[in-house]
Formats: sequence, C-alpha cells, structure tokens
Amino acid sequence: MEATIEVAGLHKRFGSTVALDGMSFVVQPGKVTGFVGPNGAGKSTTMRVILGLDTPDQGTALVDGQPYAKLRRPLSHIGALLDAGALQPGRSARNHLLWLAHSQGMTVQRVDEVIEQAGLGTAARRKAGGYSLGMRQRLGIAAAMLGDPPILMLDEPFNGLDPEGIVWARAFLRSLAAQGRAVLVSSHLMSELQDTADHLVVTGRGRVIADTSVAELIAAASGDRVTLRTRERSQAMTVLAQAGGTVATTDRDTLSVGGLPAERVVTLLTEAGVPFAEVSAHRASLEEAYMEMTRDAVEFRAQPVQEATP
Amino acid sequence: MAQATAAGRNATLPAGRARKGLAVLRAEWTKVRTVPETGWLVAAIAVLTVAVSTAVIATARCAAGTGCTADTTKLSLTGVLAGQAVVAMLAVLAISSEYSTGMIRTTFTAMPRRFGVLAAKATVLTGLVLPAAIIAVAGSLLAGREMMPGNGFTAAHGFPLLSLAHGPTLRAAVGSVLYLALVGLLCFGVTVIVRDSAAAIGTVLGLIYLPPIVALFVSSPVWQRRIERYAPTSAGMTVQNTTGMSHLPIGPWGGLAVLAIWAAAALIAGGLVLRLRDA
Repeated sequence: MEATIEVAGLHKRFGSTVALDGMSFVVQPGKVTGFVGPNGAGKSTTMRVILGLDTPDQGTALVDGQPYAKLRRPLSHIGALLDAGALQPGRSARNHLLWLAHSQGMTVQRVDEVIEQAGLGTAARRKAGGYSLGMRQRLGIAAAMLGDPPILMLDEPFNGLDPEGIVWARAFLRSLAAQGRAVLVSSHLMSELQDTADHLVVTGRGRVIADTSVAELIAAASGDRVTLRTRERSQAMTVLAQAGGTVATTDRDTLSVGGLPAERVVTLLTEAGVPFAEVSAHRASLEEAYMEMTRDAVEFRAQPVQEATP
Repeated sequence: MAQATAAGRNATLPAGRARKGLAVLRAEWTKVRTVPETGWLVAAIAVLTVAVSTAVIATARCAAGTGCTADTTKLSLTGVLAGQAVVAMLAVLAISSEYSTGMIRTTFTAMPRRFGVLAAKATVLTGLVLPAAIIAVAGSLLAGREMMPGNGFTAAHGFPLLSLAHGPTLRAAVGSVLYLALVGLLCFGVTVIVRDSAAAIGTVLGLIYLPPIVALFVSSPVWQRRIERYAPTSAGMTVQNTTGMSHLPIGPWGGLAVLAIWAAAALIAGGLVLRLRDA
C-alpha cells in the first residue's frame, strides 16, 4: 500500500474556540499537496493531531494507515517540520540531528547524509542558536529527511528562506514527490504553492473548503471572463452590455467582461468601431482563486466536501 | 500457523520494547551531553556542596572542657543543603528548556510514548546527579575528617575521626547521595507539571527551602513536628543524623522514604499530566 495521510472528521475545541470542525482530507503519494487557509483555519492544529501531539475531541488521523502513536520508528514513516525555531540554542545542528537519529536507532552516517542533502555543510557544527531562520528551515528539513520517510509534512517551509533557498526548497519538494513520496506543505503564500503544489486542500474555520487540483481551482476561479483594454471605456461597456455581457471596470482603461467569449467580444467591438488595445482570456492566479474562495467561505462550505475514503 | 505467528510476536515483543527503550534512553543521553549547561551544573553540584561544607566545618569549634554535643557527620554534610539548589536547577532544565523552545514537540514526534520519554529523562537525570553527589558527599566528609580534629573535635573529646567504617556515618553518606538524587526526581516531576522554567524554579525552590524555614517559626509544636515529619526535605535530611537519634521527628531511613514518596508522587502526577495534555 502506498503511504498516505488520512484525516477524517477531526473536531477539536480549545475552550470556546472551535479549532477543527470536521476536517477531512487525504494526502496522495507522488504529489505535493498544498495545505492553505487563513490564520486560524486549523492547519497547524491538524498537523499536530496527525503527529499525535494534540488529541482530537472526535475523528481520526492515520499516517501510513496507522494512528501516529502506533508507529514504530515514526520518523521512518513521516518526516515533519512544524516549527524551525524549536531548537535548544546551545546545541549544534549536527548534535540535534544526532539525538533524533539515536531515538530511531539510526547511526551518525545518516546524520551526515542529511546534512549534505540539506546543504548545511560545515555550519552544522556551529551552535543552532546562531542560525538565521533560513538555516533553521534547512535544519528542520534535514531532520524531516532523517528517516528517509515516504511521507513529509512541512509547516510553512518557505518562511525565512532567501530567494536561492526558496528555489532550492521548491525543487527539493518537487523531487520528493517525483520519487513517489506524499508531501503535505502548508503555506500562506499561494504564489509559492502555484509553482510547487499539484493538489490543494483549502481550509477555513476548521474544515476543508476545497479539495482540488491546482489546475481545476484556477480554471474555476477564472470563469469565462475576458480582460479588455480600451480608451473608449463607456462606449465599449454599452456595446458589450447590449450584447448580454456583464461588464466591470477594473482599471482606468481596463474592463473585465463576463458571459461573452473573447472572439465574440472582438467581433462586437470591431463591428461597432470601438478601438481597443488588447483582449485576453482572463487566467486567475492561484492567489486570486484563493482570495475568491476564502472571501466567501460560507458559499463554498455549502458545496460538497470530498470526504476521506474509509 | 496463526499460533506460530502469535508465539513469534510474543517472543520478539519484549526484545523490541527493550531495544526501543534503549533508543529513547540513548537519545535523551545524547541530548544532555550536547549542551554546555549540563557539565557546568553537574560540576557545580559537587563544588558548591564541598565548598559550603568546608566553610561550615572551618567555623565549627569545640572548646576544651565545654562538653560539646555536635553531630560532626551531619555538620560536615551541611553543603548538601546548598548543592540541592543546583540539583534542582539541573532537574528543572532537563525538561523546561524543551518547553520554552518548543523542542518538546520534536521529542514527542520522534518518541511518541510519553511515559518512556519521562522515564528516560528521569534515568539520565539520576545518572548525572549520582556521580556528582558521590563526589560532593565524599569531598565534604573528607574535609570534615581533615579539619575537625584541628577545631577541637578530637577523639579525646569523644569525636573519633569521621570514617565510613562507622555505621551511622556510612548511612548519612549513602543517604545524602540518595537524598540529592531524590530531590532531583522530585523537582523534575514538579517541572513536568509546571512546564515554565521560571515558575518551575520558583516552585521547586519553595518546596525545598520553605518548609524547614516555616517549621522554625511555627508556634504550634504539633505543626512543627508535622512539617519535620512530612515535608520532603525536612524529612529527607534526617538521614544525615548520627547522634541524638531518639529525639528525631522521624527515623533516618523513614525520613528518606518520605522524600522518595514525594518524588514518586511528583513523577506519577507528571506522567499522567504529560499523557493527558496536548504537547
């Protein structure tokens, strides 16, 4: 069986705050799954439940088909990076990886391999307290890779990385998925996930709003809208509205047209003699799609949410 | 077939558990030996204990003909009262430093069996305290043996040289070593419950030093005796007595047992809290 994370019907309250309200999704192997949602959507709580750190009031989380607590040598099943700053400052990166290795019955050779893989190099022998956030992220990724796990779960791994580091991390995550591993990555920067994730689990208020591929999400958000640039804005609006289009002004000389395909817009404007500079089918960025989705979370919650298969 | 598998599993299970337990122990040992604080604190336990003991011994006098009644063994081991503060700090740091940095989550992710982590940490802590305590106690008694006769505590006045061959002195020595180890476990258990470094340091120092001070000022003799019998360190320190045994509020081993019960209770409560609470 291929390794996955299966989260089904998680509920959790902290006092009067509902942190998780029926969170359900499955992370597939061989893909990078983006885990996105506004702050307080329950992403970190879900990750803590998956790792057995927090106990849900209801629901189950399975890693590689088992509850986390049942895993023998858990780091060989799942590698996780929750908080890159969670280090004792007086210990070197290498020694941090060493105690983790010892906890799994692994040897120092594996430690040196992941130090190399994460590009820590000679800095690994320095005290972790002096590390930049980017270095800590690399150390956290090294720790996650220690057990060569089929599943990886990273909370905001791009945080604090310099541009070079982001390119590296992106390529690294892609290569992990290409090797057949299941990779779950949370991020608040959708633009990063646009180039990294294959699949998206969008959350809001403790539950899944959308569980879809990146391509589908963008297509859905883009709709049939056409972007039009013209100096004769009001003239164009009249012509297109008469033809049944819904027209909105987006800029001083830019219109967004709905309900009419691009070719029909060109024909209409040409026939009416309205000058225009550009007509293009609108392609939403992931950021826009995400904004549209989370802006009206209620509407999307009414749609069927993909349940985890038992 | 099924039976064979079940038997096979039963046969490998204890071995697997033992190996896993050793891995957890090894990981916890690797943790403590790779931070600089550990070495300093362990050394400080021995140095501070011997230094305070030596200072007390140096100021003790037995003038000729006054019939002094000092317990020279207990006097020589006074530094334990100071050394226990360092033991407390070592015990608090053993887990509070993981809570303050958030590393406790990494620990429980790598080692999900929390009782196992607790047991391994307690074992490593004890393994650090015991050698330091042995050096501290041996150094203190040696200072007493060397300096006491010069201060008037001579065999002629009824004070033979301090020696471990003397039963009660041996009891005081072994008891003091165990006392320091138990204080460490008590402080560790309390910190597991309290988590925060500052709050834990305050709580354990209060637990160690307040009851003996309160006992001094309580006007009711009944309550004074209760404190001396049941407060963890007041009871535990009775193990150092070698004279006037009939006047002790509790027997030397009984007193140490009271401290052991406190330590066990703190560890059990810590274990339960650790298991029930989100990390």
